[in-house]
Amino acid sequence: MLAEIGLIACLFAFVASLYAILASVYGERFAHSEAMVLSGRNAVYLTFVLMTIATGGLQIALMTEQYQLTYVWSVSSPSMPTFFRATALWGSQAGSLLFWSYLITVFAAAATFLNWKSQRRLMPYAIAYMMAVAAFFIGLSLFIENPFERWWVLPSGEVVASAFIPAGAVAPAARQLAESANGLNPLLRHFGMAIHPPMLYLGFIGFVIPFAFAMSALASGDLSSNWIKVSRRWTLVAWLFLSLGLLLGGRWAYDVLGWGGYWGWDPVENAAFLPWLIGTAYLHSVMIQEKRGMLKTWNMFLVIGTFSTVIFATFATRSGLVDSVHSFARSGIGFPMFLFWFLLTIVSVWLILWRRSRGELKDEHRVSGIFSRESLFVLNNFVFVALFVAVFWGSFGAPIVSELFMNTNITLGADYFLRVTPPLFILMYILMGIAPVSAWGISAVGRLGVSLLIPLALTVLSLGLFVLGGMTDAGALLGYGIVLLSGWVVVYETFRGVQARRKARNESPLRALAALATRSPRRYGGYMVHLGIAVIGLGVIGSTLFQQETQRTLAVGQSLQIGGYEMRYDGLLANQVAEDGRLMDIAQIVLLRDGAEVAHLRPRRDFFPESSGMNSMTIAGAHSTLENDFYVLLVNWETVSANSATFKVYINPLINLIWWGSFILIAGTLLAGYPRETLPARVREKLQLAREGART
Amino acid sequence: MTHKILKLAHLCVVLMMVVGVGSTIYAQDGSTRVVTEDQVNNIAKILYCPVCENITLDTCGTAACADWRYEIRLQLESGSTEAQIIEDFVRRFGDRVVGTPLDPTLRALSLLTPWIIIAAALVGGALMLAKKKRTPAPEIAAASAASNRYQDLFEQDVANS
Repeated sequence: MLAEIGLIACLFAFVASLYAILASVYGERFAHSEAMVLSGRNAVYLTFVLMTIATGGLQIALMTEQYQLTYVWSVSSPSMPTFFRATALWGSQAGSLLFWSYLITVFAAAATFLNWKSQRRLMPYAIAYMMAVAAFFIGLSLFIENPFERWWVLPSGEVVASAFIPAGAVAPAARQLAESANGLNPLLRHFGMAIHPPMLYLGFIGFVIPFAFAMSALASGDLSSNWIKVSRRWTLVAWLFLSLGLLLGGRWAYDVLGWGGYWGWDPVENAAFLPWLIGTAYLHSVMIQEKRGMLKTWNMFLVIGTFSTVIFATFATRSGLVDSVHSFARSGIGFPMFLFWFLLTIVSVWLILWRRSRGELKDEHRVSGIFSRESLFVLNNFVFVALFVAVFWGSFGAPIVSELFMNTNITLGADYFLRVTPPLFILMYILMGIAPVSAWGISAVGRLGVSLLIPLALTVLSLGLFVLGGMTDAGALLGYGIVLLSGWVVVYETFRGVQARRKARNESPLRALAALATRSPRRYGGYMVHLGIAVIGLGVIGSTLFQQETQRTLAVGQSLQIGGYEMRYDGLLANQVAEDGRLMDIAQIVLLRDGAEVAHLRPRRDFFPESSGMNSMTIAGAHSTLENDFYVLLVNWETVSANSATFKVYINPLINLIWWGSFILIAGTLLAGYPRETLPARVREKLQLAREGART
Repeated sequence: MTHKILKLAHLCVVLMMVVGVGSTIYAQDGSTRVVTEDQVNNIAKILYCPVCENITLDTCGTAACADWRYEIRLQLESGSTEAQIIEDFVRRFGDRVVGTPLDPTLRALSLLTPWIIIAAALVGGALMLAKKKRTPAPEIAAASAASNRYQDLFEQDVANS
């Protein structure tokens, strides 16, 4: 029954999304019928409701163990805990595509509801673009990767998967299906997987809204700042989710994948990083258009490029274009997705060039001095795009070109990325340090230098502490210096703001800080994001350049020394059975520092007897401090016994700064996206004075 | 004379045997050279599993990868250097087992192409900016200034109302 409900809801959602496109465009452009446009708008809401029913149906099928559905059978099993049964919705291709389509309709409905009145002129076109994307993905769920297919036994005894009942077929015995159910991929049985994919999807899909508004501006000819106002905030929302998705993915890799790192430069990781890079460039350059009326064409390219990259990344991940541990299984969605991506990009670029050729995307000002804020933002955009080029080439370009034209299969790994990207990241941090103290219009070098004096002094002071702490590596000190400067600049700028308010209004430092943040959330939210990126940078440098690693086989009672720690192996708890039926080999480790016990760690190997394919996991034991992480793995290819076991141990210096920096970044993004009053500051101040005058 | 020749031949044989035994002892020393797991991993982390998806040999848990790690150990024990072992793997499995190809053409293609694209974009951008600087100031700026004046007047009205 659930399968029928889901299938029918999905089908109607597909029809409703097509209707929304036709009614909106025809009603606005040709019939000039308000009723038809309204009907198109209502179709958006209807699509959302129908997709809620379809996705809800699949979720209920997972929770109630309806193993006749092939999707439920392939990603769950009777022994799986309820929590993982819920997250299995995005555990494989068909379910995650349905969930993806559902999220598009959520965003489309929310954007329509929130912007209908304020962006009435743009909305019919925006609806058309949003629903075109929704229709495409719902179509994929319906016609190629249908999660509502069921197992059937044909009269010949053959078992087939079909969404409809084949003639004379009967359903297989429920008990037999339950016993043979696959269960979720062990790698996905982690708390992080409950949040990481939805965050990533929200980030990816969120970019559909800025894209739709940019396209609607191009299509309608309303190229005023309206689309910019809407798209900036929605871009920030998408960027926040994508950042969260990337960071949670890093944490999941660190906890579960068992290689002591958080970023492997894997093509699928990079595919998620690419839209982040372009989206970040857009978030900066959009400010230039708002403040100076410049870079109009460029901003169009960036916002459309971001969504085009999202679709390409989805295609690369889900079509089997690249080999990756993260990839979905190869399926038939590759060609339609490629075609969709190609058409979307071609149509968008053509629209931009057409409007540009009509002179409708002319800049209102020119770039003035090289050290003006707009110049530095242009440079910043260049760095982000250059990073995009380097990462795209390494992940997709080189492997595809070598295979197509040189008949050679290559995969560029961390070695390539660590050679090509560091100069660009250094440039990015330098710009992050200089841009906040520059001014719009013309900025004198001398003034810029004076503004940087105190942050520079603080940086030198900090580096002095590093040297006193024993650091002598010149390259690392240079890296730390550049990152620290970018952090100190925003701290000092905020301090100056607080001091100015305290002087003018005699406020306490905290009150002044709060007032600054609420009056200029974009500026101080942005500063916080910069600070978060600087803190992350410190963690990346520390954990990359100074990571220590060793692998040793220890007998019970034996110890090894690394990074000032002593690790003692105290024994093994073999074949422990967990609630979900998994078998665990747990090593008992005592960690000592200066002879004193600091932690008891339990690195373990989990084995999932019911799972086919990948059926084991290595879970690290970690002891975290401000200084470093002691991270130990029970090596999964060596035998373990009550007598001895092999361990791989990592010391990851400053790695926790990456996670703490992430919190600052998220908080900053939330602050930057906080709605502020729409009246200009001068008007607000006058209104305040008027109110005060009225009171007296 | 014959005796002397025989003695000389005997000496030569003995010398050859000594040298031979010596070299055998030397080779045996090489083959029993102690190789640590860290030395194996230092090379295994540079090499990617030829059959898995983007996983380096030091972290890959499959039986095939365990065999390849053992092979690295054997090669280290027999005196091969890191470069020799990597070259051997590339010769057998192709350039996909290393993070950056060793083949000069592929290596240049991999490492230089992004910089060439970036440089071309930089030159293109600079030329465009230079061209913009040569053209007169856009009229739209004046229009914008006018609209700013209207905005100021509007704000004053709002404030006065």
